[in-house]
Amino acid sequence: MLYDRADPASRIGRRRRVAARTRLDFWFDAVLLLGYTLAYSYGFTGIAIHEWLGIGLGLALLLHLTLHWDWVIRETGKLLRPRGHDKLIWAVNLALLVGMTLCVASGIVISRVALPEVGINSLGGPFWERLHVLSAEVTLGLVPVHVALRWRWIVRVGRRLLPRRSGRGREPRATELQGPGPGEQG
Amino acid sequence: MRFLRHLGAAAGVVAIVVVLGLAWAHFGSQTLAPGPQVRFHQEIVTGPGGKLPAGMSAGHGGKPGPGVIRVGRNGPTVVDSRPFDLGLGSMFNPVNLPYLRHTVVIEVGVIAAVVVVDVLRRRSRRSWRAQQLAAEVYRPDDEG
Repeated sequence: MLYDRADPASRIGRRRRVAARTRLDFWFDAVLLLGYTLAYSYGFTGIAIHEWLGIGLGLALLLHLTLHWDWVIRETGKLLRPRGHDKLIWAVNLALLVGMTLCVASGIVISRVALPEVGINSLGGPFWERLHVLSAEVTLGLVPVHVALRWRWIVRVGRRLLPRRSGRGREPRATELQGPGPGEQG
Repeated sequence: MRFLRHLGAAAGVVAIVVVLGLAWAHFGSQTLAPGPQVRFHQEIVTGPGGKLPAGMSAGHGGKPGPGVIRVGRNGPTVVDSRPFDLGLGSMFNPVNLPYLRHTVVIEVGVIAAVVVVDVLRRRSRRSWRAQQLAAEVYRPDDEG
């Protein structure tokens, strides 16, 4: 804990900070999902957007992993405990990390627009093309699972961040907003 | 500083996966290269002034520019591709919309399935706990 439990001011500051972090997580992950959906739809975007979006997505995923590194450490340490749900999430996330990394890496290797743009000729071959297609299809199965396993957090934060105009939705409370992050709830 | 430490660790994990991929390509590329194609569309890359295969239209303008023509099960799809053109034309081409819809349908379907399974699992666990609790609380001797 970085803050003093006894100090109410620092506690409020932490609430604000965590709420801001929750907002960042929510919107950043939403943009990631949108970006991934577009990048996967190669026939929709065209090759240039597909490749540049894929490279951007690779960097964004590195940031996503960095932001949730605490969760990675904590849950890896808990692997031996007899509780199934988090282990499933951990396994899905690991598979997604491997799949997404291989997908972006193989995509860079077989690039026909982005790499030549920076003066590098395509290094790819049939192996990398097959790996790209295969890893892309694996990630298409895993990304929605990764999202859905946190659906309660998404609904809870989404309700607060996207209040209904009719006024039926109540105002967010700091204690509710801080809640556990997408990689923190059980 | 903490962020940079985490970034370094995350980059290290990603680098390990990339190195494993390179090792796979080097030592076991035959495990993936041959064999049936995984729904890979036939692609025809056109150069400047290239000619379209018979029976295909180039879409806007009628001339095939540098780009890719993908031949799928539903016929050809023109994907514009020029160095400084992001191909927004193909993105807003209604004929290419089914590709996006296809992705969204798969994602929504998987999300819905996982949510339903999760709800059912939690519900059954809750009812099981309630039964356990009721069995603990209920004592026939207490009845008077």
